[in-house]
Amino acid sequence: MSAQDHDRVADDRAGPGWAAVVMAVAAKDLRIEFRTRARTLTMAGFVVMVGLLFFFSVDRALVRPQDIASGLTWITLILAGLIGVGRTFEIEKADGAMTGLLLTPAPRDAIYLGKVLANFILVYAIVLLTTAVFGLFFQLDYSNHPGALLLLLAAGTLGFVALATLFGALTAETTLGESLLPILLFPLLVPMVIYGAAASSRLLLGRPLSEVEGQVRMLAAFALLAVSVGAVLFGQIVEE
Amino acid sequence: MNARTGWFGIGMALAGVLVSAYTLWMVFFWVPTEVSMGIVQRIFYIHVPSAWVAFLAFGIVAVSSAVYLWLGDERADIAALSAAEGGIIFTTIVLITGPLWGKIAWNAYWTGEPRLTLTLVLGFIYVGYLMVRNATDTPERGKRFAAVVGIVGALFIPLIHMSVYWFRGLHPDPVILNPEGPTADPEIQTTLYVGLLGFTLLFLGLMALRYSVERAHRTLELREAA
Repeated sequence: MSAQDHDRVADDRAGPGWAAVVMAVAAKDLRIEFRTRARTLTMAGFVVMVGLLFFFSVDRALVRPQDIASGLTWITLILAGLIGVGRTFEIEKADGAMTGLLLTPAPRDAIYLGKVLANFILVYAIVLLTTAVFGLFFQLDYSNHPGALLLLLAAGTLGFVALATLFGALTAETTLGESLLPILLFPLLVPMVIYGAAASSRLLLGRPLSEVEGQVRMLAAFALLAVSVGAVLFGQIVEE
Repeated sequence: MNARTGWFGIGMALAGVLVSAYTLWMVFFWVPTEVSMGIVQRIFYIHVPSAWVAFLAFGIVAVSSAVYLWLGDERADIAALSAAEGGIIFTTIVLITGPLWGKIAWNAYWTGEPRLTLTLVLGFIYVGYLMVRNATDTPERGKRFAAVVGIVGALFIPLIHMSVYWFRGLHPDPVILNPEGPTADPEIQTTLYVGLLGFTLLFLGLMALRYSVERAHRTLELREAA
């Protein structure tokens, strides 16, 4: 049965609406996470330790840590995100949970967006922790444009999570597993790191918002493209 | 039908080899040395046609992948596989010739030049594409996964292109495809066009050959299974 057939079945039986499916899948994923806290704790421990190692990797007599902190924040987002998102479909494999989810008449794109939403909430929480930890270690001053920085990081996180969820579903079904995820994912993250790091460094230095407008727009385009591509192609990956 | 594709491939590849050999003769004995860049500019006649073929191959991968997902036609998948394998060879040529030129022209092998960076990223998307294909339990799933990777890669290439350009620009300005018409010498243009023709023929020939080998291979597998 193709994804379109599933949609039709869902319409015929007048089951839960599309948005309700998104919310239900997201709530289910978050509930699992809330009960075990496995991914949150590993990611949180990871970013604190990475922050500490980054702190020791910089010779403060030669380099001002503030100058490289924003680039390091984006790299940490990617690495911590990999740990969190990579597990999404590993959890679903236990007891054939994914098969059960796919046997329901839920539209594939709604399942995908539900998973993206749950992953976004998890990873964005870790991104906030990262900014706090890096701010503490590197003595960063966020007071210039706190709102713009949070929005920028949200756009980047959304784009990252959308691509990582799509490719996470794919690599979970391969013999190489999660080790394949960075090879598929990293080439596509080039625009995110370029625009994200440039914009956040400027915002950290207190430069005017108009200076980073273009980069913020490109980052939003990146996130939008990632979410739409994922929603359209997810069905092709989970199809038996 | 398949044998005909094979002979067509052999013919194209041979024509490609001949035209490429003629290009080499032009590069070394016929075309004048470019005034501002000097002798090192001659690598341009290998570099630019390879880059063109690398991106052409990626376009074929993306379109064939979309057709495969849409119609489920085995032939589209074989075409995508053949184009990807050819494309990775020409991507490698671009990534070798570019830095060699850069070492002399800019005194550094790698300067983060946008087009070269884009080709490197493209190369890694190809690597992922070919790895996914062979990393699944069933070949059918591998084909579908690879097609997804091919399509997503192609959709992100414009954005990657814009971002690396925005990040840095050191590459010499285009001398053929610019709005005021070609600015390069006529002999330089002729050599480049012959090179483009030769490399394109060579690539399409290799792709057709690979296509016919893969089809024969899959037909044989089907017969053995039956």
